[in-house]
Amino acid sequence: MKYSYSWLKELSGTKKSPKELADLLTMRAFEFEGSKTEGKETQMEFSILPNRGHDALSHIGMAREICACEGRKFYFLTSDVRKFLSDIHVDDRQDIYKLNIDVKDKKLCPRYIGAILENIEIGPSPKWMQGKLLACGIKPINNIVDITNYVMLETGQPLHAFDKSKAKSQKPKADIIIRKAKKGEKIKLLDEKLYELNENNLVIADSEKALALAGVMGGFDSSITSNTTSIILESANFNATSIRKTRTAHNIITESSHRFERDIDPNLAEIAMVRAIELIKKICSKNIKVTAISDGYAQKVKPWLIKLETNYANKLLGENIPVTKMKSILENLGLDAKGSGRLLHCEIPTRRIDLKTQEDLIEEIGRIYGYENIKEQALVAEVKTPPQNDKRDFENKLRDILVGLGFSEVMNYSFYGADDISKCGLGEDSHVEVANPLSSEQQYMRRSLIPNMLKNIELNLKHFGQVEIFEIGKKFRKKDGNISEIGILNGMLANDSKIPFLELKGNLEALLNNLGLRNIKFEAIEPEYAVWNPARVARVFIGNKKIGKIGEINPQVLKKYGIKKRVASFGLKIDNLSILSIKDKIYQTISKFPIVERDLSMFIEKDTKYGDIVSIIERIGGSLIKNIELFDVFEKDGEKSLALRLKIGSDAKTLTSAEIDGVMQKIISALEKDLKVKVRK
Amino acid sequence: MDKEQILQIKNRFLKDISSSLDEKSLYNVKVKYFGRSGELTKILKNLKNLLPEERKKTGLLANDARREFEAAYKARKYELAETADWEKERIDVTIPGKKSEIGSLHPITLVYREIESIFSSMGFEVVEGPELEIDWYNFTSLNFPFDHPARDMQDTFWVKSPKNDLVLRTHTSPVQVRFMEKRKPPFRIIVPGRVFRNEATDAKHEHTLHQFEALAVGDGVNVGNFKHIASEFFSSFFGKKVSIRLRPSFFPFTEPSFEFDISCAVCAGKGCSTCQQAGWLEIGGAGMVNQNVFAAAGYPRNHYQGFAWGFGIERLAMMKYKIDDIRWFESGDLRFIKQF
Repeated sequence: MKYSYSWLKELSGTKKSPKELADLLTMRAFEFEGSKTEGKETQMEFSILPNRGHDALSHIGMAREICACEGRKFYFLTSDVRKFLSDIHVDDRQDIYKLNIDVKDKKLCPRYIGAILENIEIGPSPKWMQGKLLACGIKPINNIVDITNYVMLETGQPLHAFDKSKAKSQKPKADIIIRKAKKGEKIKLLDEKLYELNENNLVIADSEKALALAGVMGGFDSSITSNTTSIILESANFNATSIRKTRTAHNIITESSHRFERDIDPNLAEIAMVRAIELIKKICSKNIKVTAISDGYAQKVKPWLIKLETNYANKLLGENIPVTKMKSILENLGLDAKGSGRLLHCEIPTRRIDLKTQEDLIEEIGRIYGYENIKEQALVAEVKTPPQNDKRDFENKLRDILVGLGFSEVMNYSFYGADDISKCGLGEDSHVEVANPLSSEQQYMRRSLIPNMLKNIELNLKHFGQVEIFEIGKKFRKKDGNISEIGILNGMLANDSKIPFLELKGNLEALLNNLGLRNIKFEAIEPEYAVWNPARVARVFIGNKKIGKIGEINPQVLKKYGIKKRVASFGLKIDNLSILSIKDKIYQTISKFPIVERDLSMFIEKDTKYGDIVSIIERIGGSLIKNIELFDVFEKDGEKSLALRLKIGSDAKTLTSAEIDGVMQKIISALEKDLKVKVRK
Repeated sequence: MDKEQILQIKNRFLKDISSSLDEKSLYNVKVKYFGRSGELTKILKNLKNLLPEERKKTGLLANDARREFEAAYKARKYELAETADWEKERIDVTIPGKKSEIGSLHPITLVYREIESIFSSMGFEVVEGPELEIDWYNFTSLNFPFDHPARDMQDTFWVKSPKNDLVLRTHTSPVQVRFMEKRKPPFRIIVPGRVFRNEATDAKHEHTLHQFEALAVGDGVNVGNFKHIASEFFSSFFGKKVSIRLRPSFFPFTEPSFEFDISCAVCAGKGCSTCQQAGWLEIGGAGMVNQNVFAAAGYPRNHYQGFAWGFGIERLAMMKYKIDDIRWFESGDLRFIKQF
């Protein structure tokens, strides 16, 4: 809220300069946001915490805060603010029922005070008042409107004035009805826009129509004009939630709704009404008559008690604040604190709706005492090593290996748009949709890490000849109405190679081997989504457990993303992988016996898979086969040839060449029989 | 021909072969001394013209010399054969190395690791929670009533779900109640994670952020303890003494609540452009756990005390690496990432 420095000074009696005041309040109460000076007035803006809108969105509230921070009590310097409704002289007593207030829902409107004032002369408000309003960022309009705003800035209570002649009444009574709007009921508000209301909106109405949207904005038709001579002045209290819902539904924020939705004290309505009538009498002609006052206040709010254990206060703050000091802090804030020892009985003024528990009082004591005065204290705790977070450690291990393999880590948004879903052919159904997205590009939660990483590839190929990236993040999936969140590692590689699949596969194998995983298998699959190149995609297994997929991205998809090189990608479910990975590796004895190399060249048929050849060699050779390496592939005249190098040895003895030849012969026979290969002799 | 003369030839020969730097010049030396008309060959050829007595004496000397020459020649030849030709070896050492690259970790990961290692050394456990969170954990259990203005402090992304109760968590605090439902105090945890705020992005604002939360609960955990842990942490993180400053604030899940500032690590509180001359940098929010939160987690009221605090990783990374625009973090741009 924007405050007038001179007004605060006047009310609090502070001697501090704006700068000193800003520093003090920032450390003890509210953060200073900035100030500007125009002429004699200095505007100071503070950010009022959401739980202090009850009392501090007002100059009186802020002045009280200043006094408490300066270690003294606040006294009203302007006497008018203390009077009660009963102090106001009402003319024409015999017609006391002229204002009939009918509150239909006392929960939504705990209090409604209305007053009729006659013989009003509309004109500009005095210069001093305009100066203060301007300092607080409010434009002066006319004396009545300015007074309602002035009183709101002073006390925190929003007020509203209606032109009485515009309110239809069954004479001689003026009826003010506080009711819920009818469905489809329309009203033009002061912003000159027509609003269609719903049954949750509270309106102030006469016997025929809505005059104002309660607590939010007045109606255009009943507003004060230069022709106004009598007014109905409203000082009321509305339910915070209801105001909030109404203003959210219609997307209006006003000074009034801002205060009401923070919940204000119904007793404040009386203070503000008295103050406003005083000012109107003083400012808008000498002949003003108050011809009726009516107060609909069903359930009177009274101060409440909080028992404060002073030991607990010190235990929570970690300080040794004397009880007398606690007491004076609370009293300076306007609380009535009784007692002097272990227990303080504190009576809370009704304006401090935020003070409900002991801890609330301890906060008041702590902040006014000054948090900088609380000494640092080492935490007394049992010395023990905290349990490891295995999942996080595992992810960090993945990161380290991939970085070693030349991959850089990216982090992308968890969102993408319908455009990405269609480009990658992912299908909208399985996507979780954001109800209130920032833009259509961020309308869906990512179902795959691939689309955003493809954008990374496109961007980085502008600057680098080859791109190797990975991301560890969550993907989100909707399936049969259930929404799940799955941790994924996605690696991606783009370069000039004709088969980047094989390079990425090598990287993936290195990664898995480093994790201690053996028995890695790849199996060609028919991809479910168009994002994959259907001729170059495989499922990855450890043993018979699925852990993810690897493949090249469909060239048609790449084209849509403007990527001119081939791209390979793998995605692994981190949970599946982490369960399988070997945390503690165990040393394997290194054989003392020699290992020999034998090469094996063969012609194979077009559809024969390398994986099948390896399976046969491993099956026949068993533990004697220490390693199999593919060192040459070539195709000639439609015939495909492979050259393999086998490492053969025994852990128990030195093999004779006859034994080795025997194994080789068995392998060759099996290959020739099962796969119809032609081994070159 | 006397002993003296043969010795002189021998010395010259030894000198010549040791100054021969390649096999060719060595061969020339061989020819010069015991080639067909070499110096030593001449002496040997001349033996037959000597008197028998002299022939015997000189012959002995000359033949010894020849054996010596041959041995020395052989040794030198072997030596030269074993020596590389350094001129042929010579390269231009300023030519670029063969390209070989390791990747880079994201700066957010680097900062997380550093934070986690500091907290682990202080006995904090690392705990995580889901990014898609139910209203109860993100708001209600943390003492945010429905339709309360406090919810406006955190611009929220909601997702379409059957019960319409799913949000992208606006902070890492939901993990507080999730964790406390399973564990009894005393404990000390930290919660790293990704959070979301529904706000437009610019150089200082992002809708996708990374946060850090610390929660310590026990019998008598107090504000002084929080100040201590916070100053220990920041001093360790920035490698120099950092002061902590608490200001009043409001969070539904803590009471009392603070904003906390640290003395500017760049100027040590004197005032500079990083801290906009304030000497202090606003880092995050903290407070003593509200008893309502303990109650939501199933703890008895007023039985435990604890502090909770959270701060943004991007902000810390920006300070540490002097990054000028928050949008770099989610840019995927390797020109940025490869700097780390």
